[in-house]
Amino acid sequence: MSQEKFWVLFSKKLSGEASVEELGSLEKLISEHPEWQYAIQNLEDLWKHQPAKDYVQGEDAYMLHLHRMTELNVPFGENLEAEALVIEKKSGFSKWYWAAAAIITLVGLFAFSDFFSAGSKRNKIAQQVNEVSTRPGSKSKIQLPDGSVVWLNAGSTLTYTKDFGKEIREVTLTGEGFFDVTKNVEKPFIINTTSISIKVLGTAFNVKAYPEDKQTEASLIRGSIEVTIKSRPNDKIILSPSEKLVVENEVPKAEIRDRRTGNIERTQLPVINTLMSVNKLKYSPVDSTVAETQWVNNKLVFRDESFSELVVRMERWYDVDIEITDANIAEERLNGIFETETIIQALEALKEFIPFKYEKTGNKIIIHR
Amino acid sequence: MLDNEVIKRLLSAIAFTNDQAAYKELFVLLHGRLKQFAYSILKSQEEAEELVSDLFIKVWQKRDQLTTIESPLLYFYTTAKNLAYNRLNKQKRQQNLQPEEWLVHLNSIYFDPEQLMMTEEMMRQIRQAVNSLPPRCRIIFKLVKEDGLKYKEVAELLQLSVKTIEAQMAIALRRLGKCMHLEINHLPTNNFNTKKS
Repeated sequence: MSQEKFWVLFSKKLSGEASVEELGSLEKLISEHPEWQYAIQNLEDLWKHQPAKDYVQGEDAYMLHLHRMTELNVPFGENLEAEALVIEKKSGFSKWYWAAAAIITLVGLFAFSDFFSAGSKRNKIAQQVNEVSTRPGSKSKIQLPDGSVVWLNAGSTLTYTKDFGKEIREVTLTGEGFFDVTKNVEKPFIINTTSISIKVLGTAFNVKAYPEDKQTEASLIRGSIEVTIKSRPNDKIILSPSEKLVVENEVPKAEIRDRRTGNIERTQLPVINTLMSVNKLKYSPVDSTVAETQWVNNKLVFRDESFSELVVRMERWYDVDIEITDANIAEERLNGIFETETIIQALEALKEFIPFKYEKTGNKIIIHR
Repeated sequence: MLDNEVIKRLLSAIAFTNDQAAYKELFVLLHGRLKQFAYSILKSQEEAEELVSDLFIKVWQKRDQLTTIESPLLYFYTTAKNLAYNRLNKQKRQQNLQPEEWLVHLNSIYFDPEQLMMTEEMMRQIRQAVNSLPPRCRIIFKLVKEDGLKYKEVAELLQLSVKTIEAQMAIALRRLGKCMHLEINHLPTNNFNTKKS
C-alpha cells in the first residue's frame, strides 16, 4: 500500500466519492494508527469548514441583473404578464389563463364529534382535513407544509390531514397531479388513489387517477418511487426515472358511460388479475419534454391517443360535455398540442384530420359523422 | 453536497410556474461561485458579473428545457466556461488559455482558527500550503471542495480523466496533511486490500 493510495482514498472520502468498500478499508487502516487521529480529525474539520456565504452580495447582484434584463428587453415579470394578456385578448380566452383560472376551494373540515371529547390533542388535529379542489377548466399550485409542491390539474382533489408531516406525509388524490416532493428519508411521502398507492422519498412525478378513466398512470421524471396496487398488495413496483406505470382500473358498471362510444360492453376485471404495464416515457425529440407533464405548462398534449380518450381530457380542460356518436370516429388516433385555442378552435383543428361534424349547445357538444 | 437536488427543484419551479422567487433563489445561490469561476478566466470583475447575468438570462429563456438535465451544476459551470471563452475569442485575447493559467482564488484560506481548534502556527502553514498548490491542483481542489462538483463533473469540465482528478486531490490533501505532521511513509500491504469497484 503506497502513501499515494492512502491520500487518494482519503480525499475521495472527504469529497463523498469513496465506495463502501473503500471506506471500510480506509477506516480499518486509520483505526490501526491511533497516532494519525489528531491530524485526520483536523483535516476533516478543515474540509467541512465553509467560509460564510455572502448572500447580500448575491442579492445586490440580482438587482443589477434584473435591471440589465429590462435594458436588454428580456421578457420577465411584468413584461411576461403583458405578453400573456395579449394572448388572452386575442383568443378571448382569459377564463383559461392558468393563474387567473385557478379556483381553489380550501375547506377546513372539522370533526365536531371529537371536539368536546377527551381525545388527545394530536388526534383532534389529525382529524382536521384540508381539501384543495380544482374545477374543470382550471388548475392550481399547492405548497404543502413540508415544502413539497403539487400542481393540480382540472377537476381534481387533493386532501391531507392537519398533522401532515408530523409523523408521516400522506395525501389522497383524485384526478391528476404533478408532485415535486422534498427529500426526507425519515418521513416517506405517500399518495393514495383509488387503485394504487405510491411511496416516495424525494422526487418529481405525475399521477393521473381520475375515477372515470379506464387507467391510472404514474410517470416518473426523476428520483424513484414505489407503487403498490391496492388489489395486489404483495407486489411492489419500483419505478426508475423516465418510466410510466399504467394500471387498468376496475371501472364500476355504473361509471361506464356508453354515450361516448355507443356500444361498449365492459366486463369487470377479476380483482386478482388487475392489468398493469411499465413503459418508457417518450421525450419529444424537439424540446425533450414529456407529454405527461405538459399540462403543468398549460398545454394539452396528446401523442397517439384515441379521439375518445382525448375527448375525456378536453371535457376537463374546457369544462364542456362532449359526446361522440360514431364508433369509428371515436377510435381515430391523434397527435397534437392545444395551448391557447378555444374549444371551437380546437374542434376546428381536429376536423382537419378527422371528417366529423359537431353541434354545440351551451356546454354540450355532440360529434357525429 | 446536495446542490444538484436543490438546483433541480428550483429549475422545476421556474419552468413549470414561472416562479420568480425560485429564480432569484437560484441566482443568489450560485452567483458568488459562478462569478469567481468566470473571473478566473476573464480576470475582470466587471466582465465576470456581466457573464453571470448573461448566463441567467439564458436560464430564464431556456427554462422549459432545463428540467431534465442530469447535473445542473455541471451545466452552469460548462456554460460559464463557454461564455467566458466566447468573450476571449471576440476580444481576440488569450484564445488558447489553459485551465493552468486561470487565476483561481481560493476561499479555503479564510477560516477561524478558534472554531477549528488549531494553533495559529498550523493555520499559517495551511494557508501557505493552500496558496502554493500547483495551478492544476488548485483549480481542481477549488471545484471539488468549494464549488461542490463531483470528480466526474470536474473531469468533464476540464477535459481531464477522473484518474487525474483523483491524483490531484490526493496531492492537495497530502500537502495539507503535512502541515499537521501527518506523514504516511510506508504501510504494510496486507492491511489494505482495496477492491476495485
